Order: sequence, then structure tokens, then C-alpha cells
Amino acid sequence: MDMEDFPNMPDAAKHAAFMKEALQMGEKALHSGETPVGCVLVYNDQIVAWGMNDTNRSLNGTRHAEFLAIAEMLQTYPRSALASTDLYVTVEPCVMCASALKQYRIRRVYFGCANERFGGTGGVLTLHSDPSIDPPYPVHGGLFQKEAIMLLRRFYIQENERAPNPRPKKNRELNTRFEDDENVLPA
Amino acid sequence: MDIPLSVRGLTPLTGEVIPIRTVQETRPPEEFADAYVAEVNLKAASKVVKALDSAFPKDPSLTLSHLRRFVKRERLPAPVRAAIEDGQSPTTAQTIFVLIAPPLPDVDKLQTLLAPFAPIPTTTSTPPTPSSTTDTPPETPAIDTSSPPQIPLHTIKVSLQPPFNSHQAETWTETLWPVIFNPAAPRSTVAPPPSILNRAREKVAREAEQSGLGRGVGAVIVDPASREDGEDRSDQWVQAVISVAGDARYSRPEGGQPSQAELHRGKIPNPVSGSYNADLEGGPELHALMRAIDLVAHRRREEGHRAQPPLTDIIASAGGGAKLRPLESFFLYRLDSSATPAPLSQSPSSSPKKRKHEEPNPESSSAAAVPDLKTVISPSSSQSQTAPPLPAPPPSTIAIHDPTLHPTDAHCSSSILPSANPTTTNPRIRAPSQGGYLCTDLDVYISHEPCICCSMGMLLSRFRAVIFPRKGRMASGGLASEPAVVPAPVDDGQEQSTEERVYYGLHWRKELNWRALGFEFVEEGEGAADASEEKTDIVFHA
Repeated sequence: MDMEDFPNMPDAAKHAAFMKEALQMGEKALHSGETPVGCVLVYNDQIVAWGMNDTNRSLNGTRHAEFLAIAEMLQTYPRSALASTDLYVTVEPCVMCASALKQYRIRRVYFGCANERFGGTGGVLTLHSDPSIDPPYPVHGGLFQKEAIMLLRRFYIQENERAPNPRPKKNRELNTRFEDDENVLPA
Repeated sequence: MDIPLSVRGLTPLTGEVIPIRTVQETRPPEEFADAYVAEVNLKAASKVVKALDSAFPKDPSLTLSHLRRFVKRERLPAPVRAAIEDGQSPTTAQTIFVLIAPPLPDVDKLQTLLAPFAPIPTTTSTPPTPSSTTDTPPETPAIDTSSPPQIPLHTIKVSLQPPFNSHQAETWTETLWPVIFNPAAPRSTVAPPPSILNRAREKVAREAEQSGLGRGVGAVIVDPASREDGEDRSDQWVQAVISVAGDARYSRPEGGQPSQAELHRGKIPNPVSGSYNADLEGGPELHALMRAIDLVAHRRREEGHRAQPPLTDIIASAGGGAKLRPLESFFLYRLDSSATPAPLSQSPSSSPKKRKHEEPNPESSSAAAVPDLKTVISPSSSQSQTAPPLPAPPPSTIAIHDPTLHPTDAHCSSSILPSANPTTTNPRIRAPSQGGYLCTDLDVYISHEPCICCSMGMLLSRFRAVIFPRKGRMASGGLASEPAVVPAPVDDGQEQSTEERVYYGLHWRKELNWRALGFEFVEEGEGAADASEEKTDIVFHA
């Protein structure tokens, strides 16, 4: 277990356990041919919902892991419970999900690697703290970020045969190196 | 009244379509790239263009129509002219300078291509080649094999973006390369689509509100390629519609509790809509735009996989139990409405439950603004009895379907099934195998400015354009990039002053991978006072 990502965090072991669950969902997504992003929702120290990207299967580009997890949770819990719920997600929520989480009044968000192309909680926009009709929420990034990045790299060296013009990637090799403070998505 | 007739009776709203300025415009960045300039024979100019265009494909993501293709020597920007003439005496030949814009081709290839069009030296002041029978210079490559002309290429900088104002255009023209400034089309030359769709969008919004299942927000997804010309002919726009969806935020039961629609059944509009209580707002996946996107996706799944369960009365994946309403199912599972309008049901008394549309429709002389579902279904209602049994829902962890929620709708919704035959309906939604991919190249009309979440969902779905009415601007919206009206310097102490809002202009941001064109529709006679989002009584996420 890689604890160096959050040395000063209280309850580090707890956060690590939840994030590892999220990473497992990311693995599951990867094996399903989905962009490997996974998440869990934690309510009263219990995981109450799991989510993984579902855009390729559903043919709906908005079916991100966060939405699936929230929908699962709402089968059992009222919406108001989300205000006492934390999200652990392997990649920083995108702009869409960052806004959705705010509308749902999530209590706190923990994420793995940053999302410099679509991130809504610091990567591109800072929706979590921007003024709006919903209160802000705190975010903590960098938990198991290397693991999260490796998941993505393993995905992106594959070809996306669903894209209108797939790019050949035969010659790409999996990059396993990390710069000292790298926290970006692979290109 | 049946739906085909009802939608065809819609009349266009008159007004003006205004592009939503991008944040690049409100805070313009400048992006430049290298280009080549070559001097060619003036008379060969059109051939040069043809040769260049056929040899070097353009980058479709770059729109460089603001750059002049040809510039005469005397119109060259002073710095460019100085560089070109440096160490080279100007020829007296009739020449013009052609721009080779990014992406830059291979220099050798380019020079080979341009060689035939090199300026014809006139220093010897010989008359035009003896062989010339007409006034035209040599048609075929000037085969002067003794010294194949080598056209010098000069590297310059050009702006990749069109100029945003005339000042910028002048500056670039004088210092970089002449540009064309088109104030009417800052970002695109795409004509805004027909205004009549704004009416359809309003109708869907009204249906959403009148059903009690959501707020009065409606979205219409259109394939602009389906329109044969720019006219607002109703039969054409109906054909262009891919899907419509209304808001359904009150339709989802959560935590085992009845939905807000169920709790307030029969109260129209739903009383919860009188305020914003986050716990009662469903979620963004129940917003009109997200539902419309999911309808397209679901329809495409059906097209792609015949084995998939058909869409019945629920949107299993995202709608969270939201049922299809009459207009929604009409457009999604279209009968061939133009050829054979669906017959009116003659047995209203057998209708399971009267839908709550008793108010006269101001646009229609008929009292029934929105028809009973029965009018949508296929001519023979007996077909509904032959509907196949519902297959198991897709292996989604979140399929929510509570058939007991709206038992009165069960009959109607199941009778939609016969028309849900992928072989005959709505071919506009192409299967993945036919190149269908998300909502690529589609436009969406929405009655309100979509919330940030839906705005980004629109981008992730690769829409081409989004249009909403200015009076539907929302303080919680994700598209506007600036206030609709300049705020008065003296604040009257309203709640708006508490916190500054952010204008995101999400439809077109350089930082994001995907972009869409954004338009606001300003209705004719709409006063400036109507334009401000503060006018909206209740701020919610649309």
C-alpha cells in the first residue's frame, strides 16, 4: 500500500482503503473497455455505492462513474444523505461531474490524479469553490495518483475503435516512469 | 388532436439569434502560427489555389477563412514587404503573393508544386512568348528546363483566430498579414437554425411542467443536416428532430420514498417547483438536456443491438425512472407522421387517466394542447396486445424502474412498444456501425440556459451547437460568458449583490477538448429588462 500520497492526513488508512476500492472499479472499467475511472461513495464510514465509467457501453458520453454511483446510492438513500457522503474517485471529477456533485451537495471529494483537460475541481475550473446557488465542497487530490495514472496509461495505449477516426497506436509503449511531481493525465 | 398535427401547427417565433460570445472573445487570447508567402504569377492565381488545395489538405479544426489568400505587393504589411524585398530587387513582372497557411506542407514538395507558377521574368523585356496565341501566359508549366524557377518561401506569422474587432483586424493587416474582419460571424459562418424549433422547445417544456414530473424546461435535439434549405417549413423541421425531452427532476423515487411527482400527484405545476430546495431537485441527469442525450443514446443502442431491450416507458440508464411523455415518444419512435397522420382516438372515456392538459393552448384553437398518448401510438391499438413481454433490463447497476409508480401510465407506455421497431423508425439516429457516435454534429435547442453540468454534458456528447432564449438565461447557467445587460453601477441592494457569479462560457473554451457553437435567441420586442437573469423568480439548475 502506497501511503506516501497522504502522509499527514488523519485516518490515512481509512482513506487508502476507500481509494483502493475506487481503483478496483477503475480496473473493472478497463477490463470492460471503458475509460478506467472508478469511484465509491462513503456514507457513515461505509461504502454505499460503486461506480465506473460507462460511456462506451451506454453510447452516452455523460455516463461517468460519479453518476452511476450516485444513482446506485439513491436507490437506498434519500438525496439528503449525500450531504453527509464523501466521494473517492481515481481521477479528478470533470467539469460535468464537479457541477453535479455540487448540485447533489456532496460533503467532500478525494481524488487520485488531476485532470488537466476536463477537471472541474482545479484541473480546468474550480467549480467546487466557485460561488453558486449550492455551497462549496472541499477536495483532496493525489491519493494513489500513480496508480490512477497507470490505469489511464494502460487504457490510452489501446486504440479507440469507437472513435470516428481511430488513431493507430501500435508502436506505443506503456510509460511506467513518473516525474517527481507529475500529476497530469497522459496525452 | 394528434401530435403530428399539433407540432406542425407551430408558428415560428420572430426574433434574433445572437451568438453567445466566447470567453476567448470577452477575454481574447491571441494565437499565432507560421505560414509561408510565395510570389507567383498573377495570371496563374486560380491555378495556384487549385494546386495547393488538392495537394495539401486543410486541417478541418482550423478555420482560416479570415486570412487573405492573395495579397498584392503594395498591400503587403510593411514588415513582410521589407523582409521579402531584402536583398532582392522587385521584379517588374505581374505577380501576386499567395499565402500557404498552416498546417505547413513539406518545403520541397511545396516548391515543386509552385514552380510552374513562378513569376515570368520580364527583365529582358521580351514580349510574351512567341508561341502565345492568346493573351494568356503559358498554360502548362513553363518548361524552361535551363533554370527551373525556384520560388522563395518567406515565413511569416498569422493569427489562427479571426479578428474579434476592427482594430485587431487593422493591426494584423498592417503588421502580419491582411485579414478579413466579419463582425457578424465572430466564430462561425454557420447560419443559426430555424426559429420554429424554439416553439417546439417551449411546447416540450410546457409538457414537462404540466405533467408534474419536472420543471418547465424542454430540449429538442436536431440534425441540422436534415434540413434541405434554410426555410422554416414545418414539415422539414419535424423531420430534422432527433429527440425531444422535458425535465423530469420530480419523477425519481429516492431512498425507497415516493417521488415528488407521486407525492404531489395532480397538482400542476408541481408545488415543489415554487422554490429551490436541493434535496427535492432530483439531479442533473434528470434535466431536459441530459435526458435528451440519453434518449439518443438509448435509441442508438437499440439500433446497434437488436437484442437489447427496447426502450419501454423508462430511460433505464440515466433517466432514473422518468417516463417518456407524449412528445418525447412521438419524436423518438416516430411513426411515418408526414405520410399517415396518426388517427385520433375515438374512445377518450377509456383513457386510463386524463392527462392534465385542460388549459387551452394559446397557440391552438383546440382545447387539448397536448394529446392523449393514444393518439401517438400506431393506428391499430390492438397491436399493443401483441407487444412482446418486457425483457430484463440491461445489466446496469442503476436501472430504476418501479412499475407501480405510475400504474395509470402503464397501459399507455406499453402500447408504445409496437412502434419501437428499430427497422422502421427514426433512421436519423444511426447505429454505431453506421458511424453514429454520441451526438456528433447535432444541435440542441433548450428553453433555458443549461446548468454547468448539462453544459459540459453537451460538450462531452459532441454537439455542434446549442441555442437557448435570452429570457431563459439562468444565474446558474454554464454558457453565458458575460451579463446580458450591463449591470447598473448603483446596486439596489438585492440578493444578487451577495456574491459575484462566474460566467463560464462553457460552449467554447480553449482549455476544454470539445467545443460547440452557442447562440442566444432574443425574441422580437424583448425589452432589455427581460434580458437579465435576475428576472427569473426562482434560480434553479436547468
